[in-house]
Amino acid sequence: MKTGDNVVLEVSNLKTYFFTRRGVVKAVDGLDFHLRRGECLCLVGESGCGKTVTALSILKLVDSPPGKIVEGEIRYDSLDLVKCSSKQLRQIRGKEIAMVFQEAQSALNPVLTIGDQIMEQIMLHLPLERNEAQNRSMALLREMGIPSVERVMKSYPHQLSGGMKQRAMIAMSLSCDPTIIIADEPTTAVDVTIEAQILGIFRSLKEQRQLSLIFITHDLAVVAEIGDRAVVMYAGKEVETAPVSEIIANPRHPYTAGLIRCLPDISRPADRLVSIPGFAPNPVELPGGCAFHPRCSEGMPICSQQAPPVVELSTEHRVRCHLYR
Amino acid sequence: MTDKSQDTARATDSPTYGWVRLAGYYWQRTRVNRLAVFGLAFILFLVVMALIGPFFTLGPTLVDFEQKNLPPAGFATEKSVYSTATGELTITRVPGDWKHPLGTDSKGRDMLAMIVSGARVSLQVGLLATGIAIFIGIIIGVLSAYMGRWVDNVLMRFTDVMMTFPFFLLLVLIIFIFGPSLAFIVLAIGLTGWTGTARLVRSEALSLRTRDFILAARAMGATGGRVIFRHLIPNVVSLIIVIATLSIPGVILAEAALSFIGLGDPTVASWGIVLEAGQSSLDTAWWVAVEPGIMLFLTVLAFNFLGDGLRDAFDPKSRI
Repeated sequence: MKTGDNVVLEVSNLKTYFFTRRGVVKAVDGLDFHLRRGECLCLVGESGCGKTVTALSILKLVDSPPGKIVEGEIRYDSLDLVKCSSKQLRQIRGKEIAMVFQEAQSALNPVLTIGDQIMEQIMLHLPLERNEAQNRSMALLREMGIPSVERVMKSYPHQLSGGMKQRAMIAMSLSCDPTIIIADEPTTAVDVTIEAQILGIFRSLKEQRQLSLIFITHDLAVVAEIGDRAVVMYAGKEVETAPVSEIIANPRHPYTAGLIRCLPDISRPADRLVSIPGFAPNPVELPGGCAFHPRCSEGMPICSQQAPPVVELSTEHRVRCHLYR
Repeated sequence: MTDKSQDTARATDSPTYGWVRLAGYYWQRTRVNRLAVFGLAFILFLVVMALIGPFFTLGPTLVDFEQKNLPPAGFATEKSVYSTATGELTITRVPGDWKHPLGTDSKGRDMLAMIVSGARVSLQVGLLATGIAIFIGIIIGVLSAYMGRWVDNVLMRFTDVMMTFPFFLLLVLIIFIFGPSLAFIVLAIGLTGWTGTARLVRSEALSLRTRDFILAARAMGATGGRVIFRHLIPNVVSLIIVIATLSIPGVILAEAALSFIGLGDPTVASWGIVLEAGQSSLDTAWWVAVEPGIMLFLTVLAFNFLGDGLRDAFDPKSRI
């Protein structure tokens, strides 16, 4: 793997399995990627392809049991997060690597005010007095473009609109100046205008603070909007990794190509929207060979027999498909 | 939001602004339920009576055989008096007077004073024992839900055992061993009465645990203890208030029942003790048993009404 300079996080051969009664679910099965400083890396894929589990694995928040990181390394700084003690992890969570959740409504504690929640995180990690933490929280909320900050600080989550809550949560994730923010579908639960604003916030954070972002989404439009590079995942495995412009313009893996074909094109009339045939596979019984082969438009005999290797098309473009051997 | 400056001014008025507003909100929702308001009013009346009543009544232990078995004011009773002069048994009518508004018992003790001091005992027992039970219940319930796995198993099986254990027998045993003092009665009721709370808190905490904000709290680097005390427990407070309100009457009744079978603390005039003393003289002085009985009945009813009202008020799904 080409690592180069400025790599802040490197995930190699990550395997997170869930040991359920019906069998072993390989939610993440041998994932490799790295994240550079000031870069936005998108994890793209359908529901259940292992995006969120990847995010939770990085912070070691996968519920155990049934989940377990069975193999792999997650390098941050000089640490392997997989092997860190829970005390070390607590110092990294929220301080070095912060997380923004999909639904702010459920990710904010309903009985604490917004101010209390932001200040809690600050005071957990930084040696600040209460009023200093309060000032810092208010400054962050202001930076998020929230009006009447004093009122919002004293509000409970249910009193704010969805967009406000999402911004408050981003403010919270930023409160200790993290190196990395993992955003798990942060715009799925808000409408398109708010989505545009939130993407704008993330973009400016990336540029102004040199923040590294791991952006989890299933929406290729969002990827095109904010991503620098994207990792397309299918059934727990990376199928294609490339700079976003290349993924959009020149997708190599049939799955990626299929996803892009699914985007409606307003310049052409269409009766029906295109979709990839079939369903996401049962995670307990993945198809042999390449997990995508039953749905693949370019399937070959070998696809059902042998798992495809990762092929490096260029230093930045990797694809896992028999087509490119 | 009409006026921003006014809004912020109000928000910064007091540090407890949010709490007061929330309490006001729930009061509005509880107020709709008339029975709950009656319950609350009666409980407040009891509290005031228990706190300041003893300063205005005669001592509950003041024995005066001259005044024994006087009926309540407004009532009259018939009393047979043996006259030593004539050697005859005459039946005279004895009216109650306002010196003893609720009458006196067989030792001439003022019933009002005993009812007032009994309120104090009942509330003490109710609040303290419930407090102990709720505290244990919360800790066990939340730990069980949060830790899961074998901790959950061990704690819940222990709860099962405690639940199946004949509670009253245990109480009798504890009191038999340690003696009938009020402190032990409170402790015994508290130490045995937490099982239901633990179960309810556990089930609530289990569903809370899967919510994102608990994950978010862990993702922010909070320790297990912090997650439990700052994020889990505050979210079960409404449930706890309801459980507590609804379990107080049970506790009060348990103390009364213990007293009634003669295991009460004989040094305090609890309603159960008075009731027990009065039952033998029901035919001559019915008020001695009836008065504490009515008080127990009303108190239990009041707490139940209030608990029901609070449960409806705290339930976000009920639109009232």
